[in-house]
Amino acid sequence: MSPFLLPICISIPFLSGLLLLACKRASFRAIADAALVLSFLTSAFCWMLLISGVNGAYEPVRFAPALALSFSLDGLGRFFVGIVSVLWPLTVLYARSYMKNEEHIAMFFGFFTVSYGATLGVAMADNLFTMYCFYEILTLATVPLVLQPMTKAAVHATRMYFLFSIGGAAFAFAAMMFLLVNGASGSFAPGGNLAAHPFASRDVTYLFWLFGFLGFSVKAAIFPLHAWLPKASVAPTPVTALLHAVAVVKSGAFAVIRLTHYCFGVDLLSGSWAQTVAILLASFTIVYGSSIAVRETHFKRRLAYSTVANLSYILFGAVLMTPAGLSASLMHMAAHANIKILGFFCAGAVLHGTGRTSIYELDGLGRRMPVTFACFTLASFALMGLPPFSGFVSKWQLLTAAAQSSGIAYVGAGALLLSALLTAIYMLTCVRRAWFPARDSNLDGLETVHEASWEMLVPMVLLAAATLLCGVFAKPILAATDAIAFGLI
Amino acid sequence: MLYALIFFPMAAAFAVWLTGRKNRRARNLLAAGTTVIELLLAVAVMLRPDMQTGIDGVVGLGIHFETDGFRKVYLVVIAFLWTMTMLLGNEYFSHYTTENRYYFFNLMTLGATMGVFLARDLFTALIFFEIMSFTSYTWVIQEETPAATKAANTYLAVAVIGGLAALMGLFLLQFTLGTTEICALYDAARACDNKAILYVAGGCVLFGFGAKAGMFPLHIWLPKAHPVAPAPASALLSGLLTKSGIFGMLAITCNLFRNDPAWGAVILALGTVTMLLGALLALFSIDLKRTLACSSVSQIGFILIGIGMLGILGEENALAARGALLHMLNHSLFKLVLFLCAAVVYMNLHALNLNDVRGFGRRKPVLMLAFLLGALGIGGVPLLNGYVSKTLLHESIVEGIAATGAFALRAVEWIFLFSGGVTVAYMTKLFVALFVEAHPTKQAAFDAKRPYMNRISTAVLLLCALALPALGLSASVSMNAIADLGTDFFRAGALEHAVHYLSWENLKGGLISIAIGVALYFGFVRTVLMKREGGVRVYVNRWPEWLDLEELLYRPLLLKWLPGAFGAIAALFGENRLSAPLARGVLHGSEAVAALFGKNKLTAPLAKGAMKLGLLLSHALSDSLDAAILLLRKTAYRELAQPVEDEARASFSYRLGRQIDRIEQRHGKEAQGSRRYAEGVYRAHKTVRDTSHRLFGNLSFALLMLVAALCFVFFYMLILH
Repeated sequence: MSPFLLPICISIPFLSGLLLLACKRASFRAIADAALVLSFLTSAFCWMLLISGVNGAYEPVRFAPALALSFSLDGLGRFFVGIVSVLWPLTVLYARSYMKNEEHIAMFFGFFTVSYGATLGVAMADNLFTMYCFYEILTLATVPLVLQPMTKAAVHATRMYFLFSIGGAAFAFAAMMFLLVNGASGSFAPGGNLAAHPFASRDVTYLFWLFGFLGFSVKAAIFPLHAWLPKASVAPTPVTALLHAVAVVKSGAFAVIRLTHYCFGVDLLSGSWAQTVAILLASFTIVYGSSIAVRETHFKRRLAYSTVANLSYILFGAVLMTPAGLSASLMHMAAHANIKILGFFCAGAVLHGTGRTSIYELDGLGRRMPVTFACFTLASFALMGLPPFSGFVSKWQLLTAAAQSSGIAYVGAGALLLSALLTAIYMLTCVRRAWFPARDSNLDGLETVHEASWEMLVPMVLLAAATLLCGVFAKPILAATDAIAFGLI
Repeated sequence: MLYALIFFPMAAAFAVWLTGRKNRRARNLLAAGTTVIELLLAVAVMLRPDMQTGIDGVVGLGIHFETDGFRKVYLVVIAFLWTMTMLLGNEYFSHYTTENRYYFFNLMTLGATMGVFLARDLFTALIFFEIMSFTSYTWVIQEETPAATKAANTYLAVAVIGGLAALMGLFLLQFTLGTTEICALYDAARACDNKAILYVAGGCVLFGFGAKAGMFPLHIWLPKAHPVAPAPASALLSGLLTKSGIFGMLAITCNLFRNDPAWGAVILALGTVTMLLGALLALFSIDLKRTLACSSVSQIGFILIGIGMLGILGEENALAARGALLHMLNHSLFKLVLFLCAAVVYMNLHALNLNDVRGFGRRKPVLMLAFLLGALGIGGVPLLNGYVSKTLLHESIVEGIAATGAFALRAVEWIFLFSGGVTVAYMTKLFVALFVEAHPTKQAAFDAKRPYMNRISTAVLLLCALALPALGLSASVSMNAIADLGTDFFRAGALEHAVHYLSWENLKGGLISIAIGVALYFGFVRTVLMKREGGVRVYVNRWPEWLDLEELLYRPLLLKWLPGAFGAIAALFGENRLSAPLARGVLHGSEAVAALFGKNKLTAPLAKGAMKLGLLLSHALSDSLDAAILLLRKTAYRELAQPVEDEARASFSYRLGRQIDRIEQRHGKEAQGSRRYAEGVYRAHKTVRDTSHRLFGNLSFALLMLVAALCFVFFYMLILH
């Protein structure tokens, strides 16, 4: 199909989201239904593009010889669009019930839809400059969403989110300038579009790559730039689930992959000290995030720390700078997106239905909300990497990739194993409390608890089934990630 | 057909669960029917030639199944045990309210256990092994008492850690050898140069599967989990789930480390400790089901000895292979009978302590016969099946002594005979307590309980119990045939000469054990482990309370020491301040100094001073950050003063609003209070102002960062370019 359709696909949610913002007086149902229909339409459009494929790039504007807005859809972009376009309508459906009693509905659904467009923009960008622009738009569009509860904590979290994101973007900007100035301003190319080290000293290249890595990794919450993510879990659950477990944070990881594998190129970078630093940081974050998650008693924050750890799995795979590593990293991106959004949906269902936020308040809820906690149990198993769930396949691939690379990658392999144990601890404690409350626990107020509404249950059940199916039938997904990693599509 | 064995009970589990929500009787029938169909399926698979099947690409590496003689035997055993426990369970669970959950997970576990024993490669085995671990977790926690919760936590921890270790081992195998297919491991291992990594991998797999089997030092979950689980579940846990662990160990011992004496010696040593420790624990225990659980640990030790001898004996390991296989089978059957007896006791009395249940079995011939046969069988009394397998195991040790002459093996032989003696002693203890001694107060009530079980349960119990002598009496036909079926899987050599089970040479070993047992019972159990209390001899637990590997080592390690280490790291980098652990360190240091010099009059004030100083320092360190923040908030980040009312009235928006109000007034409409435009416009203006303030505050910072980055870029362009 014509690449001209790409900007149209992006602008549907983008412009209609802006329109939604204006509908302040419309009823909740009208706005929510409109957002739902829009997101379904956009996803249908995306899938039409994915299935028929898009050849070539479309360039609406060229500002300067090295600066152009340009869109195309290659393998990596298709993969990301695939993940996002499946999850978005489900989340809007969930939000349709979850946000029922909240305020500022038009603002919420408006910016939510705008974010969809921005995320698609990141995925469909043809060069670094375009991606950077949409990356920033995504930041701006999601700020009001975090602010939505308008509590003091939300204001604080928003401020932190904003500061971290803009600061990170500044660093990424430095890397972008380096590339643009040194003739790597063209389309993304598998293997990189920077021809050679621009300077006699290779350290300059390494340094700027590291800037870019750290800058984009702010969104992927790498230690020590992770603090905004757990704070941002004050946002309404659909936001935490979709943006802070999938769209925004995965955009960060996606940008790192673009920067490393499609701009600088692994040939120039692999084996450098910068790679060592990146691997060590990612490995440390894996253990750190999981350890803190074990300590954390707030349900959503525990999941957020788990996201911190899991995002570093993805980064770790990406900075191994081998095709196997990239393939595993993408597999984990898909698997974790599915699992974590499910985990947050369950946490949100509990929060929405009972107002309970802490782990120790989960005692006995399994009996009252069986479907929710059955889904959560599956999500836990998948996140632990238990066969035959999807998390198992991706972790196995990551381990294999780490073992194939040598030296410093073994640190990461060790971190993965340790983290698997910690994951089991922090997920299973929730599961156990919900299903098997200890005899002496306080079970007051359980009678009034009811199962979540169908709008919330349908996405959960679908996603829970997906964790199992993606694990059992992992072959086609692995084939796709391998093809992307070897630059075939 | 193999898929049906695995997935039929899993699918039926859902049907059973849904039925159980509406109708108990229908559910019981459906569940029993499912297990009976499963048994028929297993028999059908048994009668057909060996099969292989699999799906490539599923779960990454694909899942593959096959059947051979050993697997077929165990498929039937699994289905048989499940059917029997299910039939008796219907009566056992009749007073429960949460039993529907048990039925659901019971059938799920059935499918998963079948999957483990059908697995053609270790990877497939592990998948079903993990499913089995998690579904059987619900058995342990079924009662939801504090003890059950704690035992279930232990069970879960062992399952998770064991599973991870096994996964790691499999990963190493897959990575080094490129396969985890059980029968291909031997050739692959021979072609591999790096033996060390194979041992590491093997150790991980041994750890994972050994944990489930109850091998020392990972046996901790067995004595805790069995007493609290419902008795039919205990029978399955002990009879079958431990065997799935053995299955994994056999798979690597017979293939990856085929005829490897070093590997065999390790397993033999672990097995010997397991055997002796389990037996002693069982001897000391005064809880009916706990005794049986510890006995399971001990019997697993016997099986492990057989597995160890497989490696040590090299090519001529037929005796060890046959002994290990038959003892596995026999142990499954004993534990079925014994736990079903315990189930009958428990569903009548809801007690398991020997002092509470003593005398229950008097004048109950069926129960007595069943228990007696089980006890005699496990005690290794001739003419029953246990004697046969123990004799084979003993023979294999004797053969090992003849072949190597190692002193260690002589020691193993004596420990073997001694453990056999302890087995006899604790089974006698249970039997005497249940069927001989009278209860001091409640004997009449016990005797009046009639019927104490329904017809189905009676039939089940008798059928299971009579299987033991039936096998024992026809040993040279039935048990030899079963052992022959296992030769392929065990990769055992041919048997050099037929074993005459009742020859004097073989009887001697059994008789020595029985003699030791009798001596122990009268010399130790009746004297040391019982005491007189008000004219009645009662059973007392003399096992020291603190001597518990779990409480002594594992729990502190996992719950205190490791989190402590991570906590310290987290505190160093995380939300906690860098200085907090440092401060604590200083404090502890000064305390230690104070303790060192504390008694001395001269240095005491000095030490105290040091301590004070340490405290002061630590406070200063840990509060410095707060102080800095406070200071900043008071000065640079001071919040702006609230706008006063006069300011509001003077503002442009307020005046604008008032003009609109006036216009409205002229048209005859007058709004009151907060509905006036003057207020509304002012509030809107204020919101816009506050928001933009906040936004610009952040934007300015962001711009600052941007400018910094730009400067950097310019700098770089000027200097480097």
